[in-house]
Amino acid sequence: MILLLAALAVPAVTGTALILAGRDSMTARQGNANLVSLVASVTTAVLVVATVITRPEVDQSWLPSLGVRWQFAVDGISAPLLLLTAALGIAVVVHARSHAPHGGSLTTFYGCLLLVEFGALATFLSRDAVIFFLSFEVVLIPMWVLISRYGDSHDLAARSDASGRFVLYTVLGSTLMLVGILALVQSAGTANLADLAKAHGAGIERPTQIVIAALLLVGLGIKIPLWPLHTWLPPAHTIAPTAGSVLLAAVLLKMGTYGVVRLVIAPLPIGFGALAPLFAAAGVVGILWGGLACLVENDLKRLIAYSSVAHMGFVVLGLSSGTTVGLQAALFANVAHGVVSALLFFLVGGLKERWGSADLATARAALREVSPRLGFALVVGFAASLGLPGLVGFWGEFLAMYSAWNPAPDRPLGLMRVLTVLAVTGTAVAAGYSLRVLRLIWSGDRTSPAHEDAHGGEWSVLAALVAAVLVLGVAPGLLLNTTAKDVAAITIEVSR
Amino acid sequence: MSQAVVSVNAAVLLPVLAPAIGAAVVLVVDVAAPHLRRTHYMVALASLAIGALATIAGLGMVAGQVRQTLCLPGSGQCMYAADGVASALQLGALLAAAVTLLLSWPDDKKQSSGSTAVIVSLVLAATAGATAVAGARDLGSWLVALELATLPTIALVALRGARSAISGAVALLTTALVSFGLLALAAALWFTATGSGFLTPAAALTVIGDPSRRPILVLAVALVVAGIGFKLSLVPFHAWTPEAYDGAPLPIAAFLAGVSKIAALAALLVVIRAIAPLGAPVLISIAIVAAASMTLGNIMALRQDGVVRLLAWSTVAQAGWVVLPLATLSSAAVYASGAYLLAYVLATLLAFAVVAALVQTRGSVRARDLASYRGLVDDHPVLAAALGLALLSLAGLPPGVLGLVAKVTALRPVVGSELWLLAVVAAVNAVLGVAVYLRWLRAALASPDVLSQAGPDGVPAVRAQVLRVHPATLVAVGFAAVALVVTSVNPQLILGLLGS
Repeated sequence: MILLLAALAVPAVTGTALILAGRDSMTARQGNANLVSLVASVTTAVLVVATVITRPEVDQSWLPSLGVRWQFAVDGISAPLLLLTAALGIAVVVHARSHAPHGGSLTTFYGCLLLVEFGALATFLSRDAVIFFLSFEVVLIPMWVLISRYGDSHDLAARSDASGRFVLYTVLGSTLMLVGILALVQSAGTANLADLAKAHGAGIERPTQIVIAALLLVGLGIKIPLWPLHTWLPPAHTIAPTAGSVLLAAVLLKMGTYGVVRLVIAPLPIGFGALAPLFAAAGVVGILWGGLACLVENDLKRLIAYSSVAHMGFVVLGLSSGTTVGLQAALFANVAHGVVSALLFFLVGGLKERWGSADLATARAALREVSPRLGFALVVGFAASLGLPGLVGFWGEFLAMYSAWNPAPDRPLGLMRVLTVLAVTGTAVAAGYSLRVLRLIWSGDRTSPAHEDAHGGEWSVLAALVAAVLVLGVAPGLLLNTTAKDVAAITIEVSR
Repeated sequence: MSQAVVSVNAAVLLPVLAPAIGAAVVLVVDVAAPHLRRTHYMVALASLAIGALATIAGLGMVAGQVRQTLCLPGSGQCMYAADGVASALQLGALLAAAVTLLLSWPDDKKQSSGSTAVIVSLVLAATAGATAVAGARDLGSWLVALELATLPTIALVALRGARSAISGAVALLTTALVSFGLLALAAALWFTATGSGFLTPAAALTVIGDPSRRPILVLAVALVVAGIGFKLSLVPFHAWTPEAYDGAPLPIAAFLAGVSKIAALAALLVVIRAIAPLGAPVLISIAIVAAASMTLGNIMALRQDGVVRLLAWSTVAQAGWVVLPLATLSSAAVYASGAYLLAYVLATLLAFAVVAALVQTRGSVRARDLASYRGLVDDHPVLAAALGLALLSLAGLPPGVLGLVAKVTALRPVVGSELWLLAVVAAVNAVLGVAVYLRWLRAALASPDVLSQAGPDGVPAVRAQVLRVHPATLVAVGFAAVALVVTSVNPQLILGLLGS
């Protein structure tokens, strides 16, 4: 119990202290801030690992008037996401050591990174629906500060537009989600997520289930982001500093899909069943939409943002199938996207810094020639992104399509099969855009203008992520076995 | 037969008596020693503190428990009854009045205008009205107390004497007259319908069996909603708000946003609780008014360039949130509404206190102009942090957890009653509200090296001479900020005040 609370307290307290402590942007203090946040994030990661192993539970009264309790626990569904968050929490700090953003005090920057990490960990740990919502909201303002103050300052109007759009879309999503949560808690009579999951929606009428599920899916869909609610994502990713993009793609988007599992699929099986075809269709449109946008997009960061929309489409497809395999696939693809998008955003952020822009139309030195390490990581990243077997991207998407082809009996079989075919087309598009990017910036024999290869902190972060892509790609069982038991508990009632 | 004298329990009445006696003492002292200024403030703060301490006994009482006095012999009807909600609102009004006084604390350097005693006694009188209306249970004291809470504010706005102050005061006066007319009519209709001078559920229940009297009561309640709507700045009765806030001295604007709103809601809750057993045909009108207030208030606030006007329109929007839960029959609605109002008052007082501090260091023009908040975080980091906390509480985003919990509390009865459309309108307005407050916060957080190196003419802006902030203002900022931080860490402190 102490371990779990400490895992939350360390980033929260350190983050707040850093923000309040110093406005010094002097170089002497920058190293200190980095060191403090490195120690904090490593400590957090150790505590998170210990928490995941020991699985403690916390249950403390907080707002008796509203029946809200501090309830935290870990299970197989949240454990991989917790580990991912903690690992990336370290990675962004290590990376920022050599690639600090401009735009103001670095203590505030690191403070915001730690607060985002705190909010994400609290979201994945919480077992009370209202606390889940509160944690969900915690990440907003720090992320807004990261984008609006440390983002790309070439175009101030675009930066302010991107940060504003991010915060307003997300607040709309989370407030709709709040309405849904309150309705769910009201009709189910409990706010405990485990109890809600156990009840499987017993006692909630079908129409009520559909209304609540619709509110929650629209709210969480903005966060995922689900087509057509995704329009905040590309500008936010394009403008955000590297660390912000990484956390946004690899951690914040996961909160949306995680929320769908916890708040919709488990407690509202009938309502979700009714809306699943629509949900799946939106996901598949996202796969095609994102893929096609990537084929013509010339800003590399924006391209990866669109590819995120496509990848999250596969997660949505898996979730909609209503089968154990589909849910497993979705959770796997969730983590896979976390690893791959983190790798790609670290790479692209580094490239944008070296090039001065992320424009693909400009002729550059081929990465293969001038910076083999960056080039290698890029090839692995895009190969994983297009779903090459043996890499992490393959399993989630392959299993998602497999499950959509054989959905739960109450899903419309014909529609799901059509959607599967379209999703398969989407993987072909993904191969197209991935190879296009590699052709443009990796292959060729231009060697000027030369730039530095990755080394030090940047290279260690990239290498670790490449290793994760390979390990999880070769041994997907590591992850699938972790989630299996808890996923089965959710779908057992559905498939009956 | 029993004697025809009402019983008086002074201890129960103390939250009302303390500020009222304080006002009288201030005036007497002023006659005796005309040149004193700080003494008046000391007396006033002492009387507010006594009143606040007296409310503690009534805080957090369970439903049905009341502290009552002024009871009629025989019938057992009481003209004054303070339950948990009323006591919490009284405490809020007394503390908000104390913050207002701290903000208007006299400056040694300036020559006295001779109106110190008047200002202090008017503030105390209006506060006494606010605490009285929360406990009033009969038509007469309810009406008188509500006007006592309103009329002094008109004088307070006008006292500055500037043209904008006069126009603000005229707007306020007109509104107050119309509102009084509506409320007086409502009181007469209430008496006609129920035959009782008491605002109690028992009186309202007499109408249930009689279809001919029911419409009269419904009309009475509708008129109450309209009359109070003026005082709470609900659309379409809001038009005076920006004029009065902008024209008034800053501490008085804070008073209008704090104590006056508490008085208005307290008055409304007295009536709402009285008609609770009827079910409520006027609820739909509250729902419409709430939705319209939130939407118009937020949209207009988005267009303001002056921070006081922005806060005025934000009052309109927040008033919509305050009455939002009252659109339901839920038993939690009254608590939710009270809790939301207290959270709003705390956050908005902190915002006003920060603006007041900035008026002292940067001059009135700069402190009231949204654009000149750029770089605030570098010039005044502590004030910027306090402002950020206040704005995020108003927006309902962490770290302003109190504001977020207040929004959860306000939405809960609405969702519980399955008013989906109203809930979605509220959700959209939460987003608009975030846009309003973040617009201000973004200016304060913007790094000056990018945005404010050059003044309006392209000339590098000369840093204005940094003047000292009055210690009393800093105390007000500190008090409000600490209260907001503490209640954000544990919102139960506010929720629990109201009882359950």
